Amino acid sequence: MNKKTRLVLGQVFFWLLITLIFIYLMFPFYWATVSALKTEQELIQTPTSYFPKELSLQNFAAVFRNDSFLRGLLNSTIVALSVTVLSLLIGSFAGYALGKMRFRGKSPSMYLILAMTMFPQIAVLAGLYAVIRTLNLPAIPSMILSYMIFTLPFTVWVLTAFFKGLPVSLLQAAQVDGADMMQTFWQILLPLTAPALVTTGLLAFIQAWNEYLFALTFTSIEPTARTVPVAMALFSGEIARQEPVGEIMAAAIVVTIPLVVLVLIFQNRIVDGLTAGAVKG
Amino acid sequence: MAQTQRQTALTTTKPRAMSELARREERTALWLLLPSFVIILLIAIYPLGQVFYSSFTSARFASSEPTRFIGFENYRNLLSMTIRQLPPKLDEQGNPVITDGERQYETWVRILPRQPRRYSSVNEFNFFGRRYVLGATNAEFITAIWDTVVFSVVSVVLETIFGLIIALTLATKFIGRGVMRAAMLVPWAIITVVSARIWEWILAPTRLGFMNTFLSDIGIGDGNIGFFTNSSLQLPSMITMDVWKTTPFMALLLLAGLATIPKELYEAAEVDGASKIRQFFSVTLPLLAPTLAVALIFRTLDALRVFDVFQVVLGSQRYSMASFAQDMLIANRDVGLSSAASVVIFVLIFAFAIFYIRVLGVDSE
Repeated sequence: MNKKTRLVLGQVFFWLLITLIFIYLMFPFYWATVSALKTEQELIQTPTSYFPKELSLQNFAAVFRNDSFLRGLLNSTIVALSVTVLSLLIGSFAGYALGKMRFRGKSPSMYLILAMTMFPQIAVLAGLYAVIRTLNLPAIPSMILSYMIFTLPFTVWVLTAFFKGLPVSLLQAAQVDGADMMQTFWQILLPLTAPALVTTGLLAFIQAWNEYLFALTFTSIEPTARTVPVAMALFSGEIARQEPVGEIMAAAIVVTIPLVVLVLIFQNRIVDGLTAGAVKG
Repeated sequence: MAQTQRQTALTTTKPRAMSELARREERTALWLLLPSFVIILLIAIYPLGQVFYSSFTSARFASSEPTRFIGFENYRNLLSMTIRQLPPKLDEQGNPVITDGERQYETWVRILPRQPRRYSSVNEFNFFGRRYVLGATNAEFITAIWDTVVFSVVSVVLETIFGLIIALTLATKFIGRGVMRAAMLVPWAIITVVSARIWEWILAPTRLGFMNTFLSDIGIGDGNIGFFTNSSLQLPSMITMDVWKTTPFMALLLLAGLATIPKELYEAAEVDGASKIRQFFSVTLPLLAPTLAVALIFRTLDALRVFDVFQVVLGSQRYSMASFAQDMLIANRDVGLSSAASVVIFVLIFAFAIFYIRVLGVDSE
C-alpha cells in the first residue's frame, strides 16, 4: 500500500467517523420530528416506517391547543428568566466582593460557595419542601428561589474569576474621579462583565429550563404551576388514545427549538462557560 | 533625627487612614455578599440540617400522629442486610430435588428473618457450591444503591471512551467543524425529560418503535424486545440514554483540554519518529490527564444523583437512589425515611468525591 492510498483511506475513514458521530447525535431528533409529522394512522402501524409516507401537522396543531402544555411553557419561561436575572444580580454582587475587595473571611466564603457546586439536590429536597410548606410559598416562587442552589454557586464562581481579571487601574481611576465603590460597580465594572454575564446567564437559563426534581416535587399539589419538564413527563393528549406519542414528539420538538436556536447563536460562549474551571490555562 | 521623627509620623498616620478605607471596603464587601449567604442559608444549609434532623424522627406529611424521635430506626429500616444460606429443596424421601439438571433450593421467604424486621431478597448467588441469599429490610433501596453505582460507573466509562474518540476526531481542522460542535451541544442542552420521552419512543416494546423494527429487520430479536420491562435490559437502556445525552459534554471538555496542548510537542514527537499511537500515549494522554480527572469527577458525581431518566421511564418499577428518596417523600409522605435515604446519598457522593480527589490527586486550585 503506497502513501497515497493510505492517505485516501485515512480520509475516507475520517469522514465515515464524522458521519457516524453526526448520525448518533442527531438520530433522536430525526426520529422525534418524523414521528411528530406522521399521521395518526401511520403512527399505529407495525412495523413502523423509517420515513413518513404522508406529512401532517395535526400533532403540532394539537400541541398548541393543549392548555396544560402552553401553561407549562409560560411557567417555565417565568421561572427560568427570573432565576437567571436573580442569579446574575446576586452573583455579580458576590463576584465583585470576592474578586476585587479585601476583607476577612474571604477564603472561607469562597470555599462555602465552591462546596455548594458539589451539593446533590436530593439531599435538601425534604428539608426544602418542609420550608416551603411552612412558609406557605406557592410553587413558582419556590422554584425560583430553590433553583439558585445550582445556578448561584456557578455564577459567583465564574464572575469572581472575571472581576479578578479586570485591571486594578480601572478602579483607581474611578476612585480618583470621586466614584464610590457602588458607583464604580454599576457604571464601570458591570458593563465590562457583559460577556461573562451572557455566558453564565445562558447556562443558568438552560439549567433552570431543564430542572425536573424540584419542579415535580413542588408542583405535586399545585398542577397549574407545572413547568415544561413536568408537563412533558405527565403529558396527556387531546386526541384520545392510550399514549399520544405523536403529540409528545411534537411537544418535544417545540420545546427543543428555542434551545437549539440559543445554542446556534451562542455556541462559543456556551463552550467557554462549560469548560471554565475544568481546563486550566 | 528630625528625619526619623517625620518618618514615624508618616507611618502612624498612614495605617489609620488605610484602615478607615479598609474598614469601609470590608463593610461594602459583606453587604455585597449578604444576599448570596442568605439564599445559601435558606435553600441549602437550613434544609440540609432539617433533612439530617428529620432522618432521626418518624416525621410524615399530613399525619395526625405526633412526630417522635426514633434514633437510628430509619437507617436500620433502610440499610439492614443479612446473608443466609439457602438449603437445598428436599422431596418427601429427603432427597434433593433436581429439575433440568439443576439443584433446586428453598425460597428465601422461608429462610430470611421476619422478626423484628422483615427481610426480603435482593439477590441470590452461588459461592463454593452453596446457594446464598442476600436479604435486606428495604430491598428496593439496596437495589437502588447498587443500580445507581453500576449505572454511574458504566455510563462514565463509556462516556469517557466515546468522548475521547469524538474529541480526538474533532480536534483536526475540517470543513463543517462548527456544525459538528453545534450538533454536540444540542443533546447537552435538551431537557432530560424530553430526551427520555424520545428514547422511550425509540425503544418502544413493539415494532411500533424504531429499535425493535430495525433490529428485527437485520435479524435480531422478535420485534418485541421489552427494553424497559425486561429487568436485565432496564439498566442498559438507562445507560444508553444517559451516554447519548452526556457524551457530547465530555467531548467538549476534552476538546478544550486538547486545545491547550502545545503543537510543538507533536512536532517534536514527529521529528523523533514517534508513531501516532505512541504520540497519543506519550503526549496527549499525560497532558490531558488533569482535564480528564476533572471531567470524571463532575460526571460521576452527576451520574450518582441521576433522577430524571429513572423517574420518567421506570417510575416506581425500579429506582435510582434519588428517585427512591423522592418517591418516599411524595408518594409515601414518609419524611423521616426519605430524609435518611437523602443522608445516605449525600454521604455516598461525598465519599466518592474524596476517593476521586485522593486517587486522581486533583489539586484544590
